Amino acid sequence: MNPPTSTDPGCVAACVKWVDLSPETDPTSGLPVPSAHSWGFSEADRSAVEVALRLADDRGTDAVVVCVGPPDAQWALGELAAAGAARAVLVTSGNPGDTRGGASSGETARILADILGPVGLDADTVVCGDISLDRGSGSVPALLAHHLELPQALGLISVDLGDRPRIGGATRDATTTLMGVRRLDGARRERVGIPARAVMSVEGAVAPLRRAPLGRAVEARRRVQRESSPRRPEPVRPARILQWRPPPRSLPAPEGTDAFERVVSLTGALEERTPPRVVELAPPQAAAEILRQLHRWGYLTDAGAAGAEATAAKATGSEPTDPVTAEPRP
Amino acid sequence: MTEHTAERPSSDNDDFDAIVVGAGPAGSAAALELARAGRSVLLIERGPFPGSKNMYGGVIYGRILDTLVPQWWTEAPIQRWVTRRQTMMMTGEQALTVDYRTEAWGRPPYNGATAYRPDFDSWLADKAVEEGATLVCSTTVTGLLTDSGRVVGVSTDRPDGDVRARVVIAADGVNSFLAKEAGLYGEVDPANYTVGVKETIALPRSVIDERFAVRGDHGVDIEIIGCTGDVPGGGFLYTNSDTIAVGLVLSLPALAAGGRRPEELLAELKLHPAIAPLVEGGEVKEYSAHVIPEAGYDMMPELVGDGIVVAGDAAAMCLAAGLWLEGVNFAIGSGAAAGRACHGALRKGDTSAVGLGDYRRRLESSFVLKDHRKLREAPHLVMGELAQQKLPAMACGVAEDMFTVTNPEPKAGLMRIVRRQMRTNGVKLRSVVGDTWRALRAFG
Amino acid sequence: MISFERRMDSVEFRIHSEAHIVVDDTICRDCSVRGCITACPADLFVPTSDGGILFNYEQCFECGTCYLVCNEEGAISWNYPEGGHGVVFHSS
Repeated sequence: MNPPTSTDPGCVAACVKWVDLSPETDPTSGLPVPSAHSWGFSEADRSAVEVALRLADDRGTDAVVVCVGPPDAQWALGELAAAGAARAVLVTSGNPGDTRGGASSGETARILADILGPVGLDADTVVCGDISLDRGSGSVPALLAHHLELPQALGLISVDLGDRPRIGGATRDATTTLMGVRRLDGARRERVGIPARAVMSVEGAVAPLRRAPLGRAVEARRRVQRESSPRRPEPVRPARILQWRPPPRSLPAPEGTDAFERVVSLTGALEERTPPRVVELAPPQAAAEILRQLHRWGYLTDAGAAGAEATAAKATGSEPTDPVTAEPRP
Repeated sequence: MTEHTAERPSSDNDDFDAIVVGAGPAGSAAALELARAGRSVLLIERGPFPGSKNMYGGVIYGRILDTLVPQWWTEAPIQRWVTRRQTMMMTGEQALTVDYRTEAWGRPPYNGATAYRPDFDSWLADKAVEEGATLVCSTTVTGLLTDSGRVVGVSTDRPDGDVRARVVIAADGVNSFLAKEAGLYGEVDPANYTVGVKETIALPRSVIDERFAVRGDHGVDIEIIGCTGDVPGGGFLYTNSDTIAVGLVLSLPALAAGGRRPEELLAELKLHPAIAPLVEGGEVKEYSAHVIPEAGYDMMPELVGDGIVVAGDAAAMCLAAGLWLEGVNFAIGSGAAAGRACHGALRKGDTSAVGLGDYRRRLESSFVLKDHRKLREAPHLVMGELAQQKLPAMACGVAEDMFTVTNPEPKAGLMRIVRRQMRTNGVKLRSVVGDTWRALRAFG
Repeated sequence: MISFERRMDSVEFRIHSEAHIVVDDTICRDCSVRGCITACPADLFVPTSDGGILFNYEQCFECGTCYLVCNEEGAISWNYPEGGHGVVFHSS
């Protein structure tokens, strides 16, 4: 993929997700009903676009709206960007059968990072909506911050775009810039200073999106730039490692002339038995003791037992010691 | 407005050759015709997508689409083809149904279809866009731009929202604030309007097939009379793929004066013994309401003004004549005629009322105004007391008397039964003759 | 019969913060008909005990019934909501 490049480095990007805003279920079957008209961008995403527009206005730079989604999203993305973004980029998955944009959070973040990174649009600040309505994990902003190696300020409930010294285009590395408020547990709030270069995610009420002027709305559908992300290879799954279990031990058939005797013999109900031991040991010694006992009972072969003893010894860092034996509790 | 990429240059002041307000069937048909003729056209829709504000009483008659979108039936988002058409007359616990079915309506070129308007209208608007029209949604037109009495554009509720064109097509629906602003409507009389309310009810497809005795993509449309109590009106019930729709059309003044709420009357219809088994067990999926221009020809506005033409429901082109309940086809027909007439006027360079006069002539020579003029009396007859109250009661009464076996009493003759029912229902012979004569003339 | 709330729950409304219906209920106090109360399919108009009319706009079908049946000049000012807002039908 050749990511779109920016002529004006240091733009502000808003990342939005194409989701079903009012998923419908069939009342008689409870199954989801595919709907053509309920897909769109959530309030949080619209708010992210508005924050990006205001930041861009403030810094005298461009705002860009980016979406990883299906071709269906093109018109709506154009309408969203018509509010004032310099451009809109739609990255489709490149899979012709994909009408809903089937990228995972990790994949989406990687694609966005390619687009927004230094070789692409070179975005200074990235604003995302904090929660998608399709039960998303909300992890894309964080993963994006990781890929772009930018600090993150996520889940903002307000962003102070007002009263502060204006930041010109030159102050890209300035550390004091805007202030945001984040929700914390226990109904508390946290004020965070957000550096000029950062990934933010905002809630829907932060800034209602302005309406697009008519001229831009009319042009909207033509303005979206389509990108196609190459289909990435399926991640290699490691071979499945199963838990080791002792092999079964074969037992002779129970002796006895009638069924009752055979059941008695099989269960050992009337025989004398070894009284149970209660052993209290530190976990490594306990493991060694269990292995020894399994060996004594014949569940483990000699080689297996030796290996197990060695492992246990390595774990404890010493030779196996005698366990502390306690009397069985009444 | 910024520059646009018009195929044809227009005069310096104008952003577009034509602006179409409302992306319903009328507006989209007009935009499609204009764009196809190479005109730059802006189609403005106030909903988030075309059709999002629209509902109707059930059947789209698609013959008019043949010329606009050849083979439209292969691609239009249709729910079912109506192959079974019923007219039902009912009283409190009786119902008399005329049931017609034909397989011919279930194969190309088809007759009537049921569809969801949000799907159908979006599809038709997409056709206009494919032809080159520019669609802008989520934009409410707030008024007309005029220059010494002549319409030169519209203003919208968007920032920098004025847009100018040489002609404006008002396809803005039954309330048509634009036609009213342009002075094309006279006094608005609520008696000319009805309100339609409808429930879309989800049922498994197999249950619908079974209850309505249809298969595959064939469906049923039932028109009902005598189901609205004291409020003049009618009812309808039709099948979609996996929903059915049941609704009422109610006279506005009677509804306002009568003290009965629309959803109460609808609930009563659903409890009627002839309807209850059909809707039983369904889940209401969507409730909807819309006003209908009921009076047809007699309430139509001036269709043309200087720089403006009116099409579809905005011009009251909805046929509510009892046996026929049609609207979408008239909307498409009038919209297409408006588009062609505007193209002609633009070519001649005269979009005054005179230059646009071809619109009316086109409608006069097509089914749109011919049907409306022929049936201009029908709405009054259908909404009259005879059709609303007495006819259903009498018809059901005659049927009951004829088919009730009264042994050991001998059977009464048909004439005796009719006379008895006329007496019971207070129908005078003279009024029957008079109304029959009017009906023959109205529907003839 | 389903409840009115359940009925209206089946409809999507993209509500705008500003009302597109305005009722001047000083005029309604003199109205003897009050057709809006029974005719509005969304039941948006409610009489108050002091003779006025309380109205909602959020669940409006934008059909126009209310202003058409209103027989008091100027009592109901009614317009379409801002583009993109208001009722959104899906299966009608």
